[in-house]
Amino acid sequence: MTAQHPKWHYEQVGSDGPSFVWLHGWGQDGASMSRLADLFKAEGQHRIYDQPGFGKTDRLLDGAGTEDYADALALELEKLGPQQHIFVGHSFGGRVSVQMAARHPGLVKAIILIGGAGLQRRRSLAFRLRALMLKTLGRLARLSDKLFGTSFRDAYVARYGSADYKSAGALRPTFVKVVNENLVREAKAVRCPALLIYGSDDTEAPPEIGRKYEQLMPIARFTEVKGFNHWDILTRGAYQCQALIKSFLKDLRDD
Amino acid sequence: MCRLGAVLVSRGGAPVAQKKVIAVIFGGRSVEHDVSVLTGLQFLEALDPGRYDGLPIYVDPLGQWWTGEALLRRSHYPLKSAAHKDLRQVMLDLATPANGQPQLVSFSKGLMGEKRTVIPFDLMVPAIHGSNGEDGSLQGMLEFADIPFAGCRSLGAAATMDKVFAKSAARTGGIKVLPELALDRPAKGIFLDPATLEGQLKEAFGTLKFPYIVKPCNLGSSVGVGKADDMDGLVAALMSAFRLDSRVIVEPFVANLTEYNIAVRRSSAGAILTSAIERPLRKAELLDFKNKYLAGGEPGGPKLDSGPSEGMASLNRELNPSDLSDAQETFVRNSASRMFDLLSLAGSVRVDFLSNSETGELWLNEVNTIPGSFAYFLWEAAAEPTSFLELTSAIIDEGFRLSAERLGSTDSGLGGATIFKAKD
Repeated sequence: MTAQHPKWHYEQVGSDGPSFVWLHGWGQDGASMSRLADLFKAEGQHRIYDQPGFGKTDRLLDGAGTEDYADALALELEKLGPQQHIFVGHSFGGRVSVQMAARHPGLVKAIILIGGAGLQRRRSLAFRLRALMLKTLGRLARLSDKLFGTSFRDAYVARYGSADYKSAGALRPTFVKVVNENLVREAKAVRCPALLIYGSDDTEAPPEIGRKYEQLMPIARFTEVKGFNHWDILTRGAYQCQALIKSFLKDLRDD
Repeated sequence: MCRLGAVLVSRGGAPVAQKKVIAVIFGGRSVEHDVSVLTGLQFLEALDPGRYDGLPIYVDPLGQWWTGEALLRRSHYPLKSAAHKDLRQVMLDLATPANGQPQLVSFSKGLMGEKRTVIPFDLMVPAIHGSNGEDGSLQGMLEFADIPFAGCRSLGAAATMDKVFAKSAARTGGIKVLPELALDRPAKGIFLDPATLEGQLKEAFGTLKFPYIVKPCNLGSSVGVGKADDMDGLVAALMSAFRLDSRVIVEPFVANLTEYNIAVRRSSAGAILTSAIERPLRKAELLDFKNKYLAGGEPGGPKLDSGPSEGMASLNRELNPSDLSDAQETFVRNSASRMFDLLSLAGSVRVDFLSNSETGELWLNEVNTIPGSFAYFLWEAAAEPTSFLELTSAIIDEGFRLSAERLGSTDSGLGGATIFKAKD
């Protein structure tokens, strides 16, 4: 995969101070981050991006992975000149932030993951067996379609595909790649400070992932925020995130 | 880099200073019960997690108190207590010694008979709008029990809740308010008599000039407010207002009505601060509860669980309205500050004004000591913005300070009033 130059769409908030880059989750666009970003209006200049394939930013090549998202973003940010940015990534945006810190450390001052995904979860044997069975079933359906002209695969997707998989459209190869990735190596390579915020009720990216990241990254602060899930941590939970990010930024400045 | 690492690691590893437990009480036996749930949850969500732990206390419409994490979800309301296992019915311990920690008590059935569980907290934040919460009764109870709490003390809360009393206080302070006629609910079986009413109106206002506005004396949130274009309308409006309150006031209707609201609080240094001014955008001629809180109009009301932008905060408004002249703005800021000072108010208080947009005349209308959403959106838009997070911390700090100041005066020995001397 070669690096690409999509025309990046972003909203700019604030005009002075340190630079923040906001990266939204899968299936969302920059708007999902703007409530939280607004709370930091006075403390920096913020670029709230639509990631490639979402909102108003064009897609990367088929099957682009989070590393390609990071590389493309690096090219975009290099245009701004040599400076370091603070990345705030939600969910899928968290994956891209980890990739940024691992692959382009010169551009990254710190990363803040909110419900950040990217590590495989511990699953029960029953869950893994079921997943294996379904995967095999899907492959068989595809094989049958190819050999005998059946349409089992569509039926399979309709029955067992996740909502995100079904709605991924042209991004489906990317989606499959992304959900199967495991960023252990990248997390270990992160050298900048990291703030890890997870909602206690998050079932998409549970606190377990944040704790793992904390162990893998050398300078990391993990916080579990009670009573919030993967999505409402950005809305109802905005003030909790604001407080945690504020004290993290203060420690960054005090250094 | 290494030093930052040390900072981060030590913060994570070493025990942090003990967090204060902030009990936020919401719901309540009040017509504004539902709005209060939103206000209470918003306050809990805006607590600084580094300094405070939130403890929700929900007062259901029957007056029973509950605590538990299930209270934190908007989607769980109206609450079915049986549906949530972690919900616990609690009582406030009013007999905590002055040197002890305030606590909630709950009783459950155990193997050895009744089991008593204690849930300690440090300060209570009243977030109950209207009667039994904003009217000084809750505050008086907390003062009696020496429990630190946030916001207005009982005197200020009671004085502002009673519209007649608040207006007479405003007049003595030289603050402009509309004239009013106060009427008590007639005894059962007695009908309102138009002839008597006419006499009362003439006495109060000099002339009889419809339309009038009818308001319950002790409620906020525009509940029970009605407009009367003639005597029949007035009787009808009075009847419906008397259903909500035993005392009702009648005021002349302000033509070309525009409303302005402003929030007031005291800084930690003691200075009185005012917020941005808002002009609520009215869809109907009169702002009533429906378009105030259910503005979306969709069945099921406002979107739940959608975050801080709801309740009072989602009411359509113009912030720092352009139609307000400098002189008017000064009038609003000065009147609101004077009222705040006059009644020794505390917390984030919203003062509402009425204006005739043709003549530019302004009147102070009412004071809400526990405004919807604590009026955080007005502070966020102030000339020197205060975030909701900073606002909750400021309200809590002030609460601790005010409660500590009061505790000093309860020692009978200081006043020489000791009769029973300790025997050695």
